[in-house]
Amino acid sequence: MKEYALLIISAALVNNVILARFLGLCSFMGVTTRIDTAVGMGMATTFVITVSSMADWAVGAYLLEPYNLWYLRTVTFIMVIAAAVQFTELTVKKVSPHLFQMLGIYLPLITTNCAVLGIAILLVEHKMSFIEATLFGFASSIGYSLVMVMFAGLRERMALADIPRLFAGPPIGFIVASLLALAFMGFSGMTS
Amino acid sequence: MGETVDNMTDFSAPTMIEGIAQVVAVDGNMAWLVPESGTSCGGCSSAAACGSKGIGTVASRLEARRFQLVNDAGLRVGERVVLGIRENALLRASITAYVIPLATLLIAGALAQWVAGSDTVTMAAMLAGLVLGLWFARLRAGRLMAKGELAPRFIRRASAGETCNS
Repeated sequence: MKEYALLIISAALVNNVILARFLGLCSFMGVTTRIDTAVGMGMATTFVITVSSMADWAVGAYLLEPYNLWYLRTVTFIMVIAAAVQFTELTVKKVSPHLFQMLGIYLPLITTNCAVLGIAILLVEHKMSFIEATLFGFASSIGYSLVMVMFAGLRERMALADIPRLFAGPPIGFIVASLLALAFMGFSGMTS
Repeated sequence: MGETVDNMTDFSAPTMIEGIAQVVAVDGNMAWLVPESGTSCGGCSSAAACGSKGIGTVASRLEARRFQLVNDAGLRVGERVVLGIRENALLRASITAYVIPLATLLIAGALAQWVAGSDTVTMAAMLAGLVLGLWFARLRAGRLMAKGELAPRFIRRASAGETCNS
C-alpha cells in the first residue's frame, strides 16, 4: 500500500508532468486562459491518459514483449493513443450528443499532446506492473490537471492586473510558469 | 491593497461562457449552427505547423458539431451569433462524461486487485467498471438534458470582425 501512495505522490507532484518533465506545454500555454476550459481539458486528459496507459501497458506486455518488438514502441503507442481518443470521442457522442457538442473540442487536442505519449513510454521503461501503470497514468494526469487549473487561475488574475505593456500576455505567463516550476522543485527529493 | 481586492471581479459568481457560431441553415422555427473554432491550438496563427488543424481534427470536425437552436430572433443563413452556456454547465458536463466512468473504473480495478491480485482479473474488472460508468453517465446526461442545462442560449448577434478572443 505504501509503495502505491509513494508512486502517486511521485507522479503527481515530485515528477510533475508539466513542471518537472516539461511535457504537454502546448496545452499548458494554449488552454489556460480560463479556469473552466482548463478544468474541462484537465478532466478529458485525465480520462484519456488513464485509459491509454492501461491499453499501452497491455499492448506492451502481450504484443511487444513476446515478439521482441520494443523498437516499435513509439509508433505503436501513438496508434493506441489515437485509438483511445477516438474511442472516448465515440462513447461521449453515443452517451450524449449534447455532451459531445460541449466537450468534443478538447479531444482532438489530446491526440497531439506529448504528455500522453511521454507517460506511456515512461511506464514501459520503468517496467511497471499493470496496477502500477494505471496508478502512474492516473496520478500523472492529476498532476497535469492540478497545474493547468492553478496556472489558469493565475492567468485570470493577471488579465486584470496592472502589468507593464512589454510583459503583458505570454511573457508574464512564461515568468509565472517558471516561478511555479521553481516552487514545484521544492517537492524534489521527497520520493524518487 | 484593500482597494485592489475591492476592484476584483467575483470569480465565484456563475457567469456565462460565450462562443461564436455561424448559422448554416434555417428550418422552420429552428436554426442550424456550426461553432467557430475556439481559442485553443486549432485557431492560433501557427496551427498549420503544429498538426492540430487538418484531416480528422478540430477544423474538419466543426461540421460534425452542428447543433439546433430555437430561432426566436429571426436569424438568417450566414449570420454570426454569440451564444452562451452557464459556466458550471461545462463543469457538470465534464464530470458526467469523464469523472464518473473513471471513478467506477478505478474503484472496480482496486477492488479486483485487492480480492484477486492478478493482472488479468484486474483488467477485466476495470473494463466492466468502465462500461458501468458510461451507463451511469448516460443516465445523468439524460437528467441534465431534461433540465435544459446543456443547451446553449442565444445572447446577441456578433458584430463584424468579432472573435472569441476579443
